[in-house]
Amino acid sequence: MDSLVSRYSRPAYEENEVAFRDEEQQDLELMGAAPPLSLKFAMPPIAQPSSWLRAATDDRSNPDCPIKIAHGTTTLAFRFQGGIIVATDSRATAGNWIASQTVKKVIEINSVLLGTMAGGAADCQYWLAWLGMQCRLHELRHKRRISVAAASKILANLVYNYKGMGLSMGTMCAGVTKEEGPALYYVDSDGTRLAGNLFCVGSGQTFAYGVLDAEYRYDLSDEEAVELGRRSILAATHRDAYSGGFINLYHVKEAGWVKLGFEDTNPIFWKTKLEKGEFTNVTADLN
Amino acid sequence: MAAMFSQNPVMNGPNYSFSDAPRTANGEFREHRFNPYSDNGGSTLAIAGADFTIVAGDTRSTSGYSINSRYTPKVFKIGGTTSSQDDATILLSVVGFAADGEALRDRLDAICKIYRYRHGKPMSVTACAKRLSTILYQKRFFPYYVHAILGGLDEEGKGAVFSYDPVGSYEREQCRAGGAAASLITPFLDNQVNFKNQYVPGSGTGHDLKEREVVPLVRRDAEILVKDAFDGAVERHIEVGDGLQMMTITKDGIEEVLLPLKRD
Amino acid sequence: MAGFDFTNYNRNAALHARGVPLPKATSTGTTIVGCIFDGGVVIAADTRATSGPIVADKNCEKLHYIAPQIWCAGAGTAADTEFTTAIISSNLELHALSTGRKPRVVTCMTMLKQHLFRYQGHIGAYLVVAGVDPTGVHLFTVHAHGSTDKLPYVTMGSGSLAAMSVFESQWKPNLGRDDAVKLCSDAILSGIFNDLGSGSNVDVAVITADKTELKRGFVRPNERSAKLKSYAFPKGTTAVLNEKIISKNDIGRYVSVTEVSVGEEAMEIDA
Repeated sequence: MDSLVSRYSRPAYEENEVAFRDEEQQDLELMGAAPPLSLKFAMPPIAQPSSWLRAATDDRSNPDCPIKIAHGTTTLAFRFQGGIIVATDSRATAGNWIASQTVKKVIEINSVLLGTMAGGAADCQYWLAWLGMQCRLHELRHKRRISVAAASKILANLVYNYKGMGLSMGTMCAGVTKEEGPALYYVDSDGTRLAGNLFCVGSGQTFAYGVLDAEYRYDLSDEEAVELGRRSILAATHRDAYSGGFINLYHVKEAGWVKLGFEDTNPIFWKTKLEKGEFTNVTADLN
Repeated sequence: MAAMFSQNPVMNGPNYSFSDAPRTANGEFREHRFNPYSDNGGSTLAIAGADFTIVAGDTRSTSGYSINSRYTPKVFKIGGTTSSQDDATILLSVVGFAADGEALRDRLDAICKIYRYRHGKPMSVTACAKRLSTILYQKRFFPYYVHAILGGLDEEGKGAVFSYDPVGSYEREQCRAGGAAASLITPFLDNQVNFKNQYVPGSGTGHDLKEREVVPLVRRDAEILVKDAFDGAVERHIEVGDGLQMMTITKDGIEEVLLPLKRD
Repeated sequence: MAGFDFTNYNRNAALHARGVPLPKATSTGTTIVGCIFDGGVVIAADTRATSGPIVADKNCEKLHYIAPQIWCAGAGTAADTEFTTAIISSNLELHALSTGRKPRVVTCMTMLKQHLFRYQGHIGAYLVVAGVDPTGVHLFTVHAHGSTDKLPYVTMGSGSLAAMSVFESQWKPNLGRDDAVKLCSDAILSGIFNDLGSGSNVDVAVITADKTELKRGFVRPNERSAKLKSYAFPKGTTAVLNEKIISKNDIGRYVSVTEVSVGEEAMEIDA
């Protein structure tokens, strides 16, 4: 086991090094046993890779950019007496195009840790998978589970290394450990890392905050908390064009996380409207 | 300024899709940018069934208003033991910039071949799907300009389709259209494969109306949808046409057919 | 007031500067050709109209009437070719009426170039002008900026190179009528199959001293293939939230209702 750990570990000074690799070296690694999640990336052969990348891939600074990267959009998580609720929508957009309505924006890092995905879908998927590997290595090295604080800091340090290069992620790490209890951290690609009780991230965040802030209490019951998470995402999918699809719900408890559902927004919307009398702005009345 | 561009291609310079023609008046300095990409048009489509997967693409390769080739395949067999790929178990389709697409196909094929040599068995689609994601992400800062779709049969023998964005975010799906005519084909697929916006007549009134139940398609029906989708795309998209390459994976192997499409 | 309305110019320029895209004009990204033969002239065009990479019209008309013996093939912005030829057609008719003579092709060509030059290329009309008048058989091209050419065979539009390759390899002096028609339609077919901006059918117009023949759909090499299955939905497939029926009598209170017999002209729908 130790030899396996050492194979996937590098000395600390190399650990988070951003290295440039050329094609030849890449081919050599192809033949050898290169770790699948390597920190070495191909770079365009020019002086300012980041500004070129922005022009080629950032649809906000250049609407005509040739490569439209999929973006993710309303996510929320909050701490309460029963643990942590994590809820997301499931829409991915590339420019004005809905690339997918079935994205899993909650990433299961391991059986007790969850990450959420907003911003670049690939950035989140890749680095949270990488974080999962780091967490497992931590367990193997230290013979105990990593804390949520430490896990989120590994991610924050990593994205800080790439600052200014064009990564785009707004993520939340949620987990329960013996030392910390339920812990929630917000990490984004600017390098920001915050501990907190309640976060909403993404283009629909304001709409979700509107509902969540109004109804949130720490002593919410489990059922109330789940319903609040669902209702907040519903509000965001209703008003934000870049959010929609399905509502993905997770509850993080002491024993680990539980998946509560992946539910279509449309029937939930009509149920909320007709049974609770909300959304009176929408009407199907013809008179 | 669509209205102002000359109809004479010679006056426009080469008709690359992303030509960096100056947006300001002529005579001003033109900024030269590093532009390693072009768009070769075309469209791809994949549908997963209960025990099969179809991956299809048109065979036209374009550059601006010109046709480079009427037969340039976009669907490739991946991970066979030989160059003929007779015993391959995975299909990859790539659309976008053809040079990047072929580089990506070669890279993934090499990895699958090495895996097969070392382990004495072909790579599973789910493993291959994850690996393709990391290959794409390795070029996060200099992306492959492609929309890739991977198809195969999973460990239970069910059809599996994985679709990717240019930098490697991926998802398993029932069906996916990619490339130039994706916006034309996707709504058709949503309706005919996932039965979106279809309800069972007479199953109730108002909100009690039942949605049509989604069941995996049988192979012949899926093949008909693929052909009709492309016939429709050819009618309304100028970059799609010439030939339809359709590959079907079943437990017995991969079958390939080439059907004619309109050539105008 | 004659001429263009510039009311929204400043607003649109400001919006464009802030990144609002300009509306996309339908461009007839086209192949058009013309060729003289002994005793007349042929012009021909494809029938595809595009908006970006999308086919906006699969069977549009690019051969425009100017006068009975003068016709125009148009490439460039669809609206500009349409209106420019209509204006010149109108003015030429008035000119013919006031002079009491048949209109001449050079007159038409001169009016077109003066009109287009005045607008400095902002009117995106690229035209092939052909006709027969008392001075003989004529064939011209007119570019959007106002320049003109007089040649025995001409091509224009995005498929002009494909079409010209046919003329350059097969054209010879003193062609007969049928040979000229065949040559022009072959040139258009070359554009249809090799240029993505051109497609669908070949329209041909043959102008001689005594008559003009417009052959719409002269060659139709791109018929739509039949769908392999029916996509008709059973009634009730679409969800309905609410229903309200307004009877003919009720609507009659707001608008006048006239009975129209449901004739044989049924709407074209897929089976």
